[in-house]
Amino acid sequence: MPPEPASLEIGDLVVTYPGPPPVRAVAGVSLTVAPGECLGMLGESGSGKSTLARSLLGLLPEAEVQGSIHLGDIDLRCLDEEGWRDVRWKRISLSFQSTTALNPVLRIGQQMAEPLRVHLDMSHGDAGRRAVELLGEVGLGTWAADRYPSELSGGQRRLVMLAMALACRPQVAVLDEPTAGLDPATRNRVLALLRSVRDESGMSLVVLSHDADALELLADRVAVLYRGWLAEVGPAASVLGDPRNPYSWALLNARPTLASVKDLRGIRGVPPNPTELAEGCPFLGRCHQSRDEVCRPASPPMVPPHGEDGPRMVACARGGVVALLAARHLRKTYTSGGLLGRRSSVRVVDDVDLDVREGEVVGLVGATGAGKSTLGMLLVRLLDADGGTVTFDGHDLLGAHGAELKALRAQVQMLFQDPFEALSPRLTIGAAVREPLDVQGIGDAAGRRAKVKQGLADCRLPTDDAFLDRHTHELSGGQLQRVALARALVLDPRLLVADEAVSMLDPSEQAKMIQLLKHLQVERGMAMVFISHDLSVVLRVADRVLVLSDGKIVEEGSGGSMLASPRHEVTRSLLSAAGRDLLFAAADT
Amino acid sequence: MTDVLQREARAAARGHDAPPRSRVPYLRTIGLYALTLWALVTLVFFLPRFMPGDPLRALQDADSGQFIYDAQERDKIAAYYGLDKPLVSQYRSYLSDLRKGDFGWSISQNTPVATLLKKRLPWTLLLTGSALLLSSTISYFVGITAAWHRGRFADRALIVVLSATRAIPEYAMASALLITFAVTYPIFPQAGAQQAFATYGSPLDAIGDVLFHLALPLAALTVGLAANKFLIVRNTVISTLGEDYMVLARAKGLSRRLLKYRHSGRNALLPFVTALGIQAGFAVGGSLFVESIFNYPGMGTLVERAVTARDYPLLQGCFILLAVVVLIANLAVELTYAKLDPRVRRR
Repeated sequence: MPPEPASLEIGDLVVTYPGPPPVRAVAGVSLTVAPGECLGMLGESGSGKSTLARSLLGLLPEAEVQGSIHLGDIDLRCLDEEGWRDVRWKRISLSFQSTTALNPVLRIGQQMAEPLRVHLDMSHGDAGRRAVELLGEVGLGTWAADRYPSELSGGQRRLVMLAMALACRPQVAVLDEPTAGLDPATRNRVLALLRSVRDESGMSLVVLSHDADALELLADRVAVLYRGWLAEVGPAASVLGDPRNPYSWALLNARPTLASVKDLRGIRGVPPNPTELAEGCPFLGRCHQSRDEVCRPASPPMVPPHGEDGPRMVACARGGVVALLAARHLRKTYTSGGLLGRRSSVRVVDDVDLDVREGEVVGLVGATGAGKSTLGMLLVRLLDADGGTVTFDGHDLLGAHGAELKALRAQVQMLFQDPFEALSPRLTIGAAVREPLDVQGIGDAAGRRAKVKQGLADCRLPTDDAFLDRHTHELSGGQLQRVALARALVLDPRLLVADEAVSMLDPSEQAKMIQLLKHLQVERGMAMVFISHDLSVVLRVADRVLVLSDGKIVEEGSGGSMLASPRHEVTRSLLSAAGRDLLFAAADT
Repeated sequence: MTDVLQREARAAARGHDAPPRSRVPYLRTIGLYALTLWALVTLVFFLPRFMPGDPLRALQDADSGQFIYDAQERDKIAAYYGLDKPLVSQYRSYLSDLRKGDFGWSISQNTPVATLLKKRLPWTLLLTGSALLLSSTISYFVGITAAWHRGRFADRALIVVLSATRAIPEYAMASALLITFAVTYPIFPQAGAQQAFATYGSPLDAIGDVLFHLALPLAALTVGLAANKFLIVRNTVISTLGEDYMVLARAKGLSRRLLKYRHSGRNALLPFVTALGIQAGFAVGGSLFVESIFNYPGMGTLVERAVTARDYPLLQGCFILLAVVVLIANLAVELTYAKLDPRVRRR
């Protein structure tokens, strides 16, 4: 008889592999898995998933394990090897990630039957028959039992591992990458099997995966793991659909879907060196919204993110992903005539609410005259709004003045369509890029010069003196636009508003510029508002797209979903102008 | 994606109507051994004939004391030994004799070589066979246990002691055992395979007597063989301990016995059996020395006597037979190996 369903409780688990140098693979994880629940655990390779999995079965004799693990009323941390033998596989089983974990010299059937004979006291014949049944469940035929592991494909071996993990119908099955390397049809069959086994026996599942799609289909709750540390945990739909920890946001933002139209970029920086203990927040070095004063002192506690008090928790000193810029009820009216002629007024920006998260690219599209540029200039306060508020990093941008405004200006920069207009023809390239530093009074002459050269190099421009001494008319449009970008970025802004920044360029220069923009945006972790009338460009760059029509935001969503199913008339017409009908003609009519 | 599906489908199809596993690899192996045997037999025939001189030289040399003056008599003797015939026909008759089990005539003992071999071979087989069996059993179980307790005192002591004994040649080991346990402390008999002129009350007594005489030569031969295989088993088992399949086996909550012997030991069997095949030759060679020290009535003492008496037909017969024994042992090992390791079979 399979044992009664039980819950798994992990309390402050720390696993350290002894050195030198010691590696802390799991750094204080607390989790609970209710009976019959499926907990998905998402993380990159090296995030400590497999170590966590093995520690649940006491399979880390070489590592130092601290913290508590309870399965039902059994304290797993107090078991000796004898005690473990009764718990392993009967109560908690593990399907290994590696498909070489099957013994190469024993037949599949023999290996499948072992736990049945040991834990369920089956006879030789019964165990053999049951093994064949179990293999059938995962879609392998009778023949598989007579094979050796080397005679099966990697995918088939993974199915065997899975069948083996479910063999004794344990209370908890820990599945390490159960669907990696399986084709979609097989994967869906496996997921269906896991669901039915869980419903039938009340088995809890812990699914470790870097495959968010599989977790979306299977998991009730999802925990995101980074450097052995829990970044976020909550209901699967909210964690995967709207991640609120900066790490999980960045990880899932890099996830491809069939509808992905934007260029995918990995998380900036390099995966951490596992031998280094995190000081403060483990994600600090790569986070796009880190603030040393709050993030460095201590590892952040698990708290509900901003604006939520539900079951989801994030470990972020800033309370999860925050809005860098928040505009509310923004209005702008242009009035013409007056005095002698007839006054006429046009509402160019009409009650716009807009959030830009840290590290996020918001695309702003709309037909000519929809108010895109005006909105962009309001956001950086190059125009004064008639009404509404703009909050930037907690400061009231529209109400700021004096030194506060000057400091804020350094954080928000704008890139215009025509660099020949934007850059003074009287200044040399060097002076044009240096000017913001002069205005803000940052550094001495040598320091500024070094920063200018660095900025030009980042924008893939020459840095020799001859180039610095040139004037704007001596450069091509593409080069000059990159000079303008270098000038915008020389102050390390948190937000860049790019208004039709690539529209003037030929396709090749445009492609280079888009890649450069996206690259610098990710590497610097800055946010961007990308304004363009050209949807095909915006969809490539933006994480989120807003459609503007007559000064109002009429639609908002990811580029992919917008392309697949535009809801608003304006969006449809913009998309059809960009050639969507050629792609989707058959499906929509 | 469809690629993957198709591949899986093909793999599944292969599984359903897989053809019966072919016997061809076995036949090929056996054929190769037959070829080796032929090369060996041929080498034994041609080697002395390509050396300068011939067996009748003394009879034909006017300066030697054995010179036969009568030319007709000389030819008669040459014809008697078949040495007047061309090489090819000599070779043909040599092969046909061998096929009939005729190894020629021993000059020193004036008996057919085959008769002598038939009398001596069983004793050598008993000695080497039991030495291989005993050393295998000891080294396998002790090796696995030592690996399981690696790093402990007993494990380290075993490594040191067995590495040292492995370096001692069989004849030195045999002499040491002979002096210690048959001369200084006369527990075991000094020589022979059975009590001379003994009559046994029951077959059990006879077996006991044979084992009693076998003990020291067997020990002398076994120690070196066991030491070698012990190290192989121990090291292989240790290398399996870190493998994922051992972690999986532990995760499955299997008993220590299953872990040790089925999951780990089974994998150690493969290099172990390879070593055993190589050792078959060493064991036969070693037994020749050990036998002559204990005056054990096997092939060893026969070879020794043939060498001192320059009894070439006898020597030739001994060599062919021993080579055949070693070849058969190796063949057996190779066939077993294919049985043990599914990966070998798939080639």
